[in-house]
Amino acid sequence: MTTHSFAVDRAFAIIALKRKLAYRWNWAFSIGFGALGLLVGLAVWRSLIGSGSLGGYDWADMRAYLIIGFLTGTLAWGGSDWQMADRILDGLISIDLTKPVDFQRARAAEYIGSMISVVPTAVLGTVAAFLLFRPAPPASALAAGLTILSVLFIFPMAFCVNYLAVLMCFFTRRYLGIQWLKDGLLSFLSGLVVPVALMPIWLQGLCWALPFVHFTTTPSNIYLGRIDTPGALGLIAVQAAWTIVMWYGARLIWRQTIKKVTIHGG
Amino acid sequence: MGVDARHTATVYGRSLWAHFRSVVEYPADFWVMATTGIFWQIMSFGFVTILFQNVNAVGGWGYHEMLMLVGFLAVAAGSPALYWDGIWSIADQVADGGMDYRITRPAPVMPQIATLHIGLQGVGEVPLGAAMFVYGWIGAGVGLGQIPVALLLFACAAVIQVAMYTIANSANFWVKGRVPVFGFFLVEMQNEAMRFPLPVFPMAVRVLLTFAIPLAFASFVPVEILNGRASEWWLLGPPLTAALLAALAVWIFRAGLRSYDSAGH
Repeated sequence: MTTHSFAVDRAFAIIALKRKLAYRWNWAFSIGFGALGLLVGLAVWRSLIGSGSLGGYDWADMRAYLIIGFLTGTLAWGGSDWQMADRILDGLISIDLTKPVDFQRARAAEYIGSMISVVPTAVLGTVAAFLLFRPAPPASALAAGLTILSVLFIFPMAFCVNYLAVLMCFFTRRYLGIQWLKDGLLSFLSGLVVPVALMPIWLQGLCWALPFVHFTTTPSNIYLGRIDTPGALGLIAVQAAWTIVMWYGARLIWRQTIKKVTIHGG
Repeated sequence: MGVDARHTATVYGRSLWAHFRSVVEYPADFWVMATTGIFWQIMSFGFVTILFQNVNAVGGWGYHEMLMLVGFLAVAAGSPALYWDGIWSIADQVADGGMDYRITRPAPVMPQIATLHIGLQGVGEVPLGAAMFVYGWIGAGVGLGQIPVALLLFACAAVIQVAMYTIANSANFWVKGRVPVFGFFLVEMQNEAMRFPLPVFPMAVRVLLTFAIPLAFASFVPVEILNGRASEWWLLGPPLTAALLAALAVWIFRAGLRSYDSAGH
């Protein structure tokens, strides 16, 4: 396996960040989509919850849940997965294989670099939403700190989920269907569409057995104090474990899929 | 006029068939896309079902009415993928100059563009959406006498969807870039907001989605009519909206073509 220095990772990340910022419309709309989802969510759940509660969420809790969902969703969908997929689909991977760089690490650096492009607006949007909608505060200062730590794990986890999805391009020759399937799984099983606490027990079990739940439910549960501090630390440890499992799982899959590469042309 | 319409229909039919034959050459892709469409509809069904395990009504609408709404939306918004999906390639055609090729052919441009691609997710989305709609219809106790009305409303909704996709994508004649941002925004707004009955939203949003960006006429209003929640006068809305939007789409697309100045060499 080829390896490279951290400086190379940093260079890949900076190039990806600059490329993402160059397409301002895409960048602005990715934030706009998240804001639209947040506003619709607020209107719908306000109507559903009223002055009561659902799944243990009262209206203030739900506001916090939705705003955290906006933040994590904006980050999770902020990377350039198409750029990774295109390398496989248009044959650029043949050039990548000749370079003295670790393909997976290079893509991780690029992906996280592109995710960083949405951080300023995601944070500003979240702060604005907190000031506008005044959600429930964090359960404690420690809970707030652990929430931030949990949100930071979205960076490597989002890369791993997207990279694993992109590796499927070796078999399908197209990415669109894979992307939509991945997006659907991520949004539904993370609790972004409907909180996991409202799902039937068997579906909750399925959610907690998969990595997607840690994109929205874990940070919001920690923030709202729906779990105690040891529980929060445990969930963050699970996020770390999923990152490691997916990272090395992707390496195993890469070893098999790279044998399927077909490069056309002369 | 008659010859023009026949020529346009022939070009459209042949082009669509040619692209259909090309996409089924990739069976893995076909199954992935069809499965994706099925999965999205299972997710929609799951969402509504989970919601109603926790609440009795959403904006005053019951479980079966909501299934009708979500099913109608899936069929109306999902079916253009099978016959008008190429319209999403306007941005690409403008950016890379591919439009030059289309406008120099002895055939109308819009049908050529609209048939450049077939969205196979529709193969999964439409039947499952229809199944959800029928299940909701039966559960809500809507009579069989409403079937002709439903067919008319589906036809109007399909025209509205096609027209709105065309208008939103035509913006890329002026807003340069490979991403159809207005089209994506339209779809996102529809996916997010229109799967709920409009009464859950503030009045300004209801007015916006009914009259300014008339997405309501492609799902909410038709289902309200079928459920007997809206008066019969509302039945005029979908055909009128469809006709107006279709004319507007043709006009905007032609204006876009006139302003197109090629990608340069």
